[in-house]
Amino acid sequence: MNEKKLVQQAQNGDFSAFTELINAHKGRIYSLALKMTNNPQDSEDIVQDTFLKAIDKIDQFRGEAAFGSWLYSIALNEIRGHFGKQKREDLKPVEEYLPAQGAHSEGGSNSAHVFDWGDPHRILESRELREVIDEAINELPIKYREAFVLRYFEELPVKEVAELIKESVAATKSRILRARLAVRDKLNSVFEDRYGRKMH
Amino acid sequence: MAGKCTDYIKDLNDYIDGELDDSLCAEIEKHIGKCENCRIMVDTLRQTVSLCREGKKEKLPATLEIKLSNLLKKKWDEKFGKKGV
Ligand SMILES: [Zn+2]
Repeated sequence: MNEKKLVQQAQNGDFSAFTELINAHKGRIYSLALKMTNNPQDSEDIVQDTFLKAIDKIDQFRGEAAFGSWLYSIALNEIRGHFGKQKREDLKPVEEYLPAQGAHSEGGSNSAHVFDWGDPHRILESRELREVIDEAINELPIKYREAFVLRYFEELPVKEVAELIKESVAATKSRILRARLAVRDKLNSVFEDRYGRKMH
Repeated sequence: MAGKCTDYIKDLNDYIDGELDDSLCAEIEKHIGKCENCRIMVDTLRQTVSLCREGKKEKLPATLEIKLSNLLKKKWDEKFGKKGV
């Protein structure tokens, strides 16, 4: 059955239609929450609260967006609420992520040295690698983390990410880039340390 | 075109994700061809995302699945009454 029909039925009080509508998105919302909070219990709460809110607001859904996007924006609000008021953390300007280098450069003075990573799996066990990655993502300020997670884990197009986080496409692109640079930086410093240890 | 690294950094993401128009792409490729640092940046930025994506997709825990359907049904009945049961 198509989504429009299901929405109509749900809005008329058909619980099984509602269940069918949310089933396709439960897993995604859980994994979004988990990536954002890195905490299974909090993620369960977020999933629950998202769907409870969705029941509250089901009459307000007008079908301008896909039902999934609508759920996503509710989930994102729940996630933001979970973090409460954040201190105004920010990432460095993009230019400062560039390596210091020769001739045609103006790289930041304190930037790490650049080296090929090769295959990081040869340096770190996969569990350790996962931990390093989760930590790098968790160190991102929320507004960067959500943009990064929506873009690269949820694999949403930039335009959809922008709509969800209610920012312009340009601002969204800049957030995604800075987040990616920051995660790269973190991995780079861990790998540099490991490579160094392996080599000596 | 001066060809400084900082001229390209803002477009790197679009470049790596294949969303940059051809002429800018060509410019970046030309720069990367002679700038080892930027080549490595592009390479490791690409790896950053592919490493991030490696983990398994988490599934909804079975316990939550059950809890959730009970909770939602209760909420639903509160809102709509027990019609259609
Ligand atoms: Zn360069």
